[in-house]
Amino acid sequence: MAARHKSVETRYMEDRDKVLRGMRRLDRRTFMKVLAASAGAVMAKGLMPPHTFQLVNVAEAALDKSASATGAPGTPPFTFAYISDTHMYVRTLNQRFVKGAVKAVEDVNALDPQPDFVLFGGDLAQLGRPEELEQGKGVLSMLKAPVKMMVGEHDWFYDMGEKWQELFGPPNYSFDWKGVHVIVLMSVYEKDFWTARKLTPAERMQIVAGLDNPIQSRFEVGEKQRAWLKNDLAKVPATTPLLVFSHSPLYKYYRNWNFWTEDAEQVQALLTPYRNVTVIHGHTHQMLFNQIGNISFYGMLSTAWPWPYAPQGLPPLTVQMNRADPYDQLDGLGDGQVNVGKEGLADMMYNLWDRNPVTVRAQYLRSHGKVYRPPAPQFASY
Amino acid sequence: MISRRIVLLMFGTAIAGAALAIRGARSYAQQAATHDVPAAQNGGTVVMLCDGKTSIEVKNLKPGQMMSRARAQAVSDELMDQWRRAHPGERWEVAQASQTGGEHLYAAGSAKQPPAAAPSLAVQQGDTYASFQPRDYKVWKAETDKFVADGKRVFHDAKALGSTIGISCDMCHPDAANTHPETYPKYQVQLQRVALLRDMIDWCIENPIKGKALDANDPKLRALEAYIYAQRKGVALDYGKH
Amino acid sequence: MKARLFASAILCAIALALMTTVGAVESVPLSAPKPLNQKGFPAELYSWVIPADNPQTPAKVELGRKLFFDDRLAADGTVSCDQCHAPAKGFTDQLPASMGIHHAFGQRNAPTILNALFNTLQFWDGRAPTLEKQIEGPILNPVEMGNKNFDDVVAKVKGIPEYQQSFQTVFNGAITMDNIERAIAAYERTQIAFDTPFDRFMAGDQNAISASAKRGWSLFNGKGRCMTCHGWNPTQPLFTDNRFHNIGVSAHKSDFVPLARKALVLIAQGGGGLQQLDQLAIQTDMSGLGRFLVTKQAHDIGGFRTMGLRNLLVTQPYFHDGSQQTLWDVLDHYNKGGVPNPYLDGGLLPLGLSESEEDDLVAFLVTLTSPEYASASNEELEKQRARAKTDRPQRDEAAATGKSGLGPGFKGPFGDMTPAQNEENPALLGGD
Repeated sequence: MAARHKSVETRYMEDRDKVLRGMRRLDRRTFMKVLAASAGAVMAKGLMPPHTFQLVNVAEAALDKSASATGAPGTPPFTFAYISDTHMYVRTLNQRFVKGAVKAVEDVNALDPQPDFVLFGGDLAQLGRPEELEQGKGVLSMLKAPVKMMVGEHDWFYDMGEKWQELFGPPNYSFDWKGVHVIVLMSVYEKDFWTARKLTPAERMQIVAGLDNPIQSRFEVGEKQRAWLKNDLAKVPATTPLLVFSHSPLYKYYRNWNFWTEDAEQVQALLTPYRNVTVIHGHTHQMLFNQIGNISFYGMLSTAWPWPYAPQGLPPLTVQMNRADPYDQLDGLGDGQVNVGKEGLADMMYNLWDRNPVTVRAQYLRSHGKVYRPPAPQFASY
Repeated sequence: MISRRIVLLMFGTAIAGAALAIRGARSYAQQAATHDVPAAQNGGTVVMLCDGKTSIEVKNLKPGQMMSRARAQAVSDELMDQWRRAHPGERWEVAQASQTGGEHLYAAGSAKQPPAAAPSLAVQQGDTYASFQPRDYKVWKAETDKFVADGKRVFHDAKALGSTIGISCDMCHPDAANTHPETYPKYQVQLQRVALLRDMIDWCIENPIKGKALDANDPKLRALEAYIYAQRKGVALDYGKH
Repeated sequence: MKARLFASAILCAIALALMTTVGAVESVPLSAPKPLNQKGFPAELYSWVIPADNPQTPAKVELGRKLFFDDRLAADGTVSCDQCHAPAKGFTDQLPASMGIHHAFGQRNAPTILNALFNTLQFWDGRAPTLEKQIEGPILNPVEMGNKNFDDVVAKVKGIPEYQQSFQTVFNGAITMDNIERAIAAYERTQIAFDTPFDRFMAGDQNAISASAKRGWSLFNGKGRCMTCHGWNPTQPLFTDNRFHNIGVSAHKSDFVPLARKALVLIAQGGGGLQQLDQLAIQTDMSGLGRFLVTKQAHDIGGFRTMGLRNLLVTQPYFHDGSQQTLWDVLDHYNKGGVPNPYLDGGLLPLGLSESEEDDLVAFLVTLTSPEYASASNEELEKQRARAKTDRPQRDEAAATGKSGLGPGFKGPFGDMTPAQNEENPALLGGD
């Protein structure tokens, strides 16, 4: 058909001219770094989306001091990868979810250089059975980089976390990493709904496994763990950047689907004194991001199945991803990486399978959407 | 006070067989208090019909005197006959319930004004859709709710769907979200043809759910369809939307 | 006597007339413009694809036809369009990859011109938006027609009196590369191919295709999962979604990630114009990157155009590299879920088709043959059937039935991953 649009070549040339103009603005050291990067070493190896000109934008952001950019001139201090919400049945019942988890492991293992660590975002198993959790551990053991485990509700409510703790240790903990204080929470506790109903462990797990099942309680961090958190933070100065890993979002998005943390405000209150806080959460199986006060929130993708956006409560800063195609069992899924800058601000890279990757910058969130807006979907949810 | 007579008259007309709508009767009682009864000519008592026009004088009935039941019935019958002669072919309760009927209650020059824009209380009778009863609504709603509830059950149950890999519809469609039943029929990309909702349900059962497609008449398929539509109550139809 | 003479004269005349009619049908060359009144012809779609700036006229079509068959368009005068797009061979060359000037071979299988006018983009990787623009690829490609530039070609055509006349009639004498392209494209737009047994079946003739083919059509829509990409509907009956998918064909030979890295560098240095893309696609080992060479987007690594499925038995071998010889090889490839690679399209799944189901699908595909190619197709079918009985390089029953679900080369802590059809489903309870 007669093309009344710009040809691929024209668009490419315009894009390339922009790059060359951008390059002239960089100082020599940055310029050399960008050149080296555009030779494909970092870009095509998967750290940044292999869009030819992405790296220049990152370098420019590095120079943009007024927006308290991701790090001073130079590359970010560290990167970690994430794999989340694998929801595996035992492989003899369902291979699809195992394949997804293994694909994510292969993606992360192919990264060069390797990330500092891999965050597992929760919901390793689908119905919390010991054999599912053992199988999950087997899959994750194929990762080359060290793994930080986080628990989800699908892992917990069959045996109330017994097998999880046996395999992976305490459900909440903290550690320091290259100047950032990292906290891993167990944010999917629920008030007891099963004792009065005399539910079996399987029945309890089944109810929790139903996203839209109203019998279960809303997720919470809980008073005890909030006290632990307060105590943990007591030793951390307010200038230290915080990374908080949580399965539930730590804010209130949609109550009916437990895209929700009941004591979110109280948890946020503990984090507010800190200048740079980023929450990385699972559970929502979609591209999702938010900014509340000084706290940036990024939702991780699932490797098992995607979820639609909730009918209400979507954070206005979230730029949706297109609906998933059910013919394509990889669509709307993926893994990703988080690049943490010197000031502890984090950019989130969504490595969407069968789609082009999307990076969401801390600057986008902190400027409340004024700069670095991620690409828009063709069809928003309705 | 003439209210006692009017009440008697009401009773009388009820016995005479005029089937008044309850609403009509109530409003009648409210409105009746305002009409003007003509004065007696022959020393009897004037009894007026609620239309504010038809009246007869009951002879040998002093004001305040009680009538026997039989006599009251005769007076009612007489009044109704008079009314029927004056309104050939009309039905009493319809005339009373209608706007025009109401206006008759107010004699010319009456100080009281009719209520503004009184709604029509006329209800058609005699056909299927005119004869729904409260019991019917209850039964039908119960049946429909059960049908939809069954769809909800199957929707959330991998085994009932026949999945060979433990997947149920609600895993990708919590509360049937993102099913968009209001957009069918439409060209469904995955099927590469124009599809109805049930075609897509069957496709999903065959593909992501990896079960056997349900026959078009399978009660489970019909129930699933019902549940999905029920979740989108109130959303405008928009066939062909992508 | 006279009556009998007269009668036999009549008979002779009738016989002659019949012979000529029949002979006329047989003697219409396959290169001739095809009639539009074929069963299944999409008239509405046709009206959409004829560009406003290049309407069809008989004179233009005839000029284009002349150019199409003219090997003077090549730098050394030895290669014409029909060398790779021969009418008798379904407008392909029936080679895995095409041969150009100096007997040099490229990397890509020549797509058919038949019904190409309906494609939204041309080439396996969609690097040309129109039939007109497609011509520029082979004209300049060093291993195809090898011209240094368009001026050389235009100069050559200008020097040929026959063309001077035709261009005068059609284009008012303007001999330019654009007009050469318009003429050839106009001829190509006459090469449509419908009127197949399947088209007649869809028009209502229940006996037009066999029971096996009907089962194949049912599998095509259902278990085979073919329809979603090879879509057919009466408005666009071409068996393609006009999109690009990585089905793992390149993964037979290439290692994608380092190739992608290399490609990005070269494109950044070379500018990524049509000529450079053309060379990368045809001449280098990066040919396997497919659509990625055009869009440079991760999503398109190893992606190639969904090709139409008409007249497959004259357009063999199959896939962008012509690596598969028979339709059974093609089906084996899909049956096992393609070849695993990091960018494999998520729609590719093991299908679990049995041998007889594959036969049914082949029977269906055979019904997509236009009458003028029927006898050549039957010959080829028998050849393929014989070969398929003994030689099935892509067949992998274990992968097709999900036994080795994660593909060859996967080293994990798992053994047999056969899905258990009767496994007690732990998801036993309903929602409420």
